[in-house]
Amino acid sequence: MAEPRSQVSASQKSLGFSSSEGPATEMDPVEYTLRKRLPRKLPKRRNDVYINMKTDFKAQLARCQKLLDGGAGHREICIHGLGLAINRAINIALQLQAFSQGALQLAANTSTVELIDDLEPEDPDEAGEPLTRTRNNSAIHIKVFYPNA
Amino acid sequence: MRNKKMRNQPTNVTFSQGRDGKGRSSDSQQQQQHHMMEHRSGCMRGNQDKPEEALPKYITASLFAKARAAEVNAMLKAVTKTTSSSHVFGALPKHMRRRAMSHNTKRLPCRLREMAQRLLEKSHQAGKNVKKEQSKTKSRRARRRHGCLLLEFNRRQRKNKWLETHIWHAKRFHMLKKWGYCLGDKPTYKCYRASYRAMDSGCLLQDLSYYCCLELHGPEEQLLNALSRLTSKDAGPTFAAVSCLSGKKEGNVMLYKADQYPHQPLGPVSFLWRPCCSTSPDRQLWIWAHPSLKQDLLPELQAVCQCFEAITPAVVEVVPSQNLAKENPAPPATSDTTYKPQGTLKRKRKLASDIQKEYPAKKIVGDGTRSLTTPVSWRSCKTSVVISDLTMEIVRYRLIGPLSHSVLTEILVPATDCENDTKTTLSPFWWPEECKKEESMSLHRQQTEILQLLRGVYSTTELPAGCVLGLTVDDPRLFLSAKKGKAMPNLYQIQVGVNEEQRKNFILGGVPSACAQSALWEKSVRENVTNNKISEQDLNRMKRELLVPGSRLPTPAQGRVPILLVNRAGKQLGEERIGWGSGWDLLLPKGWGMAFWIPLVYCGVRVGGLQMSLKHSQYRCVPHFPHDYPDCPAGVRFQEQQEIELLEKFKRYPPSKRTNYIKYGCLAPFRCPWQQLVEEWEEKLKHVDMQNTTTISMKDATLLSGDGLNSASAFSVLRSRKVLRQLSVWCRPSSNTRRAPSSCCGVPPLSTEATISLQAQWKRCILWVRVRVLGKGQPALHAMLCMPTAKDLQQLRDDPQWCGPTELQHTDHLKDQLKKRGKKDQTALCCSNLKKQEECNFSESVEPSSGLKMGKNPDLVSVNQNTESGPSVILQDPLPDVKSHSNSTSVQGLWTEQLPNISSHCTRMTIGWVMQGDFSLATGTGEALGFISLLGFLQTLLIQSADQRGIVLLRNPTSLQYRFARLHIET
Repeated sequence: MAEPRSQVSASQKSLGFSSSEGPATEMDPVEYTLRKRLPRKLPKRRNDVYINMKTDFKAQLARCQKLLDGGAGHREICIHGLGLAINRAINIALQLQAFSQGALQLAANTSTVELIDDLEPEDPDEAGEPLTRTRNNSAIHIKVFYPNA
Repeated sequence: MRNKKMRNQPTNVTFSQGRDGKGRSSDSQQQQQHHMMEHRSGCMRGNQDKPEEALPKYITASLFAKARAAEVNAMLKAVTKTTSSSHVFGALPKHMRRRAMSHNTKRLPCRLREMAQRLLEKSHQAGKNVKKEQSKTKSRRARRRHGCLLLEFNRRQRKNKWLETHIWHAKRFHMLKKWGYCLGDKPTYKCYRASYRAMDSGCLLQDLSYYCCLELHGPEEQLLNALSRLTSKDAGPTFAAVSCLSGKKEGNVMLYKADQYPHQPLGPVSFLWRPCCSTSPDRQLWIWAHPSLKQDLLPELQAVCQCFEAITPAVVEVVPSQNLAKENPAPPATSDTTYKPQGTLKRKRKLASDIQKEYPAKKIVGDGTRSLTTPVSWRSCKTSVVISDLTMEIVRYRLIGPLSHSVLTEILVPATDCENDTKTTLSPFWWPEECKKEESMSLHRQQTEILQLLRGVYSTTELPAGCVLGLTVDDPRLFLSAKKGKAMPNLYQIQVGVNEEQRKNFILGGVPSACAQSALWEKSVRENVTNNKISEQDLNRMKRELLVPGSRLPTPAQGRVPILLVNRAGKQLGEERIGWGSGWDLLLPKGWGMAFWIPLVYCGVRVGGLQMSLKHSQYRCVPHFPHDYPDCPAGVRFQEQQEIELLEKFKRYPPSKRTNYIKYGCLAPFRCPWQQLVEEWEEKLKHVDMQNTTTISMKDATLLSGDGLNSASAFSVLRSRKVLRQLSVWCRPSSNTRRAPSSCCGVPPLSTEATISLQAQWKRCILWVRVRVLGKGQPALHAMLCMPTAKDLQQLRDDPQWCGPTELQHTDHLKDQLKKRGKKDQTALCCSNLKKQEECNFSESVEPSSGLKMGKNPDLVSVNQNTESGPSVILQDPLPDVKSHSNSTSVQGLWTEQLPNISSHCTRMTIGWVMQGDFSLATGTGEALGFISLLGFLQTLLIQSADQRGIVLLRNPTSLQYRFARLHIET
């Protein structure tokens, strides 16, 4: 099982791609500018990997592989993905397992992360206070580990 | 022996060429002698062709000796005379000279020792004389005594003001004298990357106290009415923005001259409203401006608010105030300048040395260069608005980086309550008085809670941008630990005490506007705090008397400071690195700078200077004032200064090592002629429009011609958010349009019609853009941004790895001219000056017309054959007539006064220049920020296909290689 901390942790950097449904549908885009804040950052251990959509897939896979194999020799790593990056996180975890020929095991947890959007009125003098809204997004935390033999 | 002497015979020995027989005979004898010598030494020189018939039969001894005597004399003279300076070492051959000889004469050969010794003594004496004048009265110890040192410091900052951290900086930084201040540019140690990392993941500290604060005081409506003339809603939020008006947030705004938008901009300022007080209906507003902006801004503010009536500051006599200080430990505000000439100081020391000890007022706190009678505030006769100049009254530190809030929570400890016994008695200090008021204490408790919440935050970017927190804290020196350490957020420990719900509200909504209130706004409190600061000396004594060394000192009554914390937003525009470079500003009353600086530094922050603030804005992709404001008066002044400096640097290189910018086709390597560029593009488009008038409707044509009337107007930077957003959508490549539909609804698609209406409205505008190099290449200052031809783009599509086209080397016509001119000068030195002048006059009179001619000629060619290969342009380009340029002031390799057509000088059309370019540590490629002409940009977009929108070429001034780069407009 993953540690309790990682269950509430949010992934970072995947923000720009995490919300396909913008608020443009509800708000008049002429009146408000949407500014997304970064998801809450949490301290990161060495064996935490946050998956994003900007870095090359292969590079991220190699990074995870290195953590498991290399001199660091972690027995387990945690792969986190938020929003759009969930697919990719799962993909990476499965690839790792496939490469290890069954030596690795997976344990996945899901969670919900609260994200904050700032809505700045275009015409600040008339439109009143800038709005702040929260919305939720799903996240996945996959523990990839060697079972204790 | 004799042989040797002859060989070294000096050249200045001459022999009289006598015609008489005696002379001749001596001459012949001499010749014979010569030949003998030459034979002996085995080398035949001179007179070989002469027959050796003149061998004399005899030698007259007296004549021979006489002739030799002259030689010997000349030789002796030459030997005794040293070649170089009069120094002894000149007598020594170079390979025998040693540096240590200058102070240890025993290292010299014996024969020179005596003379060297004499010289050494002489120089010693000379040195003594110079020194004696200075130190006749004072030993070094006396000179370095606190009072004398302060006087010396005060003298040295008469011209350029020092910040409170000046001495700390001067020990560690390269200092620059800029804008009337001594400012640190960059540390003497290597820390460029480390400073970047600090901004990226740690905390970087800067002293921004040189920013000028102007205070406006008056009824809200009057202030807003007056200030609204300086701003425009079109360019973003103004002074009246709701969240800023409540005092909850700090705002940023671009100021223009009254009612002149979008022309005549002044510069950007940040402003802060004081939250409403219940006691007074008047509002207070602080406007923070760069010092180079202040001289433009202050008159404009005065004009807008009609505040011309200067309030002369009450000149307080120095001696009475000191007496007052003796009676009352909390003197009322003395003026901040207490600089006194040396004479009075001396007398005073004799008179009242105890007062001196008690009241160390000699140190300049705040603006010491201002004379006491200079007005610092102005009142309006019609309205009740008062403008006061708070320059150097408030210390401003900037912390940049995600950990800056943890650094703050580390050093800031909320003020402790006063003891009960002081509550009943009247205290001269402000905090005990404040403690008596119930409402201020409840506010203080709220603010303390917020500070606690701040500890539970991991990164500064999580907080809402611009929020303001007022605080009262204890003197940070009281609990300054001797150990340095890096401040890190420790969430596990702290989260236990923090209410999760409260934290969430805090992150969502920021600081409530009530908590933004601080006593720092009150002038009386500021002065009270500044004047009653515990001296370092007293503090050390208290530390000594402490029972447990290193523990916290008890808080004395005057050890509380009101401060303001202002959150600064990070990168908000664009899509990459959102929130990068956010941080906090710390505002302190003057005099407390070092008390907070040292604890901050002990928290493991890095300290940056001007260089880092430039880099900070570069990574945030925002223009930096005054570098990137070419349309503001301060920006213009800066560009001129920069041009002079760059030219000076260029001239310092040896001529063979100077870049020949003409050959690189770089017309203005040291400045950017925006006005000319904008005008050229306007001309060009007019021409194009004439050709295909069928596409333009009549209405547009009239619009164009109507605007043509005020064509004399200067260029300006496009700051209208609406237009910028439209352009930003247009310049995105369409292949990356996954989210495009949602973001660009409301924006018309790119078309000729849409651009024409834009062109008509904003034809003299330049545009702030970010450019990222696609492959290799590191953009430099004033690199050219050019328009790629269709062929280039096709080639790039075929081969994405292609590094770009190259420019053909231009011919340096000026060099030839210079050469010819030089030759002519040499050969025709006999020519009369008159004729030369005539020639000069002639060429000068010819120049303008020829300049015009060739200004237009390549223009037409390049517009019409734009898409075809360019070299035909270049062939036409070189100037036929530049005789007048080759005057003595011109520097080789640089264009002189009259520039030819800028935009079409090279094979690719220039649309703009880079203002800041560097290798970006954030993206790992070259990245540049610059301006481009709006018209040129629209032309570029129109000829590009949808998937290659926003690709431009970039060429450094010292290179012929064009590089492909992607252009972004961030809104």
